[in-house]
Amino acid sequence: MMLSGLIQILFFQSLGELISKLPLPSLPRPVIGLVLLLCWLMIKKEINPSLALVSEALSQYLGLLFVPAAVGVVLFLPQLKDNVFPIICGLIGSVVLTIGGSALALKLFNQGEASND
Amino acid sequence: MIKPHSIVEIWVYLSGSPLIALFISLVAYQIGLWAYQKTKHNPLVNPVAIAVILVATFIELIDMPYDKYFQGAQFIHFLLGSATVALAIPIYRGIGSLKNRVIPLMGALFIGGAISIASGVGISTLLGADKSIIGAFYSKSVTAPIAMGIAERMGTSPTLTAIFAVCTGILGAILAPYVLNLLRIKPWWQRGFPIGVASHGIGASRAFSINAEAGTYASLAMGLHGITGSIAIPLIYKLFN
Repeated sequence: MMLSGLIQILFFQSLGELISKLPLPSLPRPVIGLVLLLCWLMIKKEINPSLALVSEALSQYLGLLFVPAAVGVVLFLPQLKDNVFPIICGLIGSVVLTIGGSALALKLFNQGEASND
Repeated sequence: MIKPHSIVEIWVYLSGSPLIALFISLVAYQIGLWAYQKTKHNPLVNPVAIAVILVATFIELIDMPYDKYFQGAQFIHFLLGSATVALAIPIYRGIGSLKNRVIPLMGALFIGGAISIASGVGISTLLGADKSIIGAFYSKSVTAPIAMGIAERMGTSPTLTAIFAVCTGILGAILAPYVLNLLRIKPWWQRGFPIGVASHGIGASRAFSINAEAGTYASLAMGLHGITGSIAIPLIYKLFN
């Protein structure tokens, strides 16, 4: 049952790989596959159960999938140590400003929309 | 007659095969998940962060170079591309929630995305961070699998980007309620969406644990930021480098 869903995912992933060879904007290859699959779903207007099952399995363990790359942090430890202050300030400052900024923008745009009605 | 192997020979065999890298990655992540569930989904006890610390410590202890670990663990890494494609399904399901709120939501997404880059890159540059560190700030508010793809495309470090993305997710999940309360944002959809813009999947799972509507809008924001970020971030990066 899961096989056909996996085939669909791999099909769109391969399609993304193929298209990335064309001189298009430099989208990451899997994202091209994502957009193609999204368009396909919007045309078909339904998700077949096998695809839903595979997607659920993959997203359930999404965190595991970037562990191998993230462990590469061992190679960057001295550099991270040297930059610890700008990194911490940058990460905290940026996340607070991003949440605050997009929340205020949402509120303002929504009020603008509402007053147009 | 089969010659009995000494423990050293077995160890040499094991550490040469991909088995050990796969095994420790899975065990470490399982421990991380277990701790996360035990602490009732406390964002500080992030399963990815725990798994990375455990694996890094372990390969350091047994003196295994990172390259060798990655050779084995690349079978897990390979699935990242497929998992990224599969994100189309939750995005498709979330698109219904856009309904008649397209303009405020897209507006907030673009402003949030711009603030995320400007503030992350700005603060780290002002405080004198190295160039490769600054490069990893560009896509840190995008969900990690896509952020790594973007980093690869731009020639910045996917590893540092993944680390920054996970840290951003954890920080956003912790700090978001305070920021939103301070700004007196009340409607759940207006609380959820900014969390997804800033802190992607980790923020979204926190939002889900508080309120379903907030969670739906947070994951919608995560998906939209992933797609629009893939297009916009490399262009912005090119502009400044």
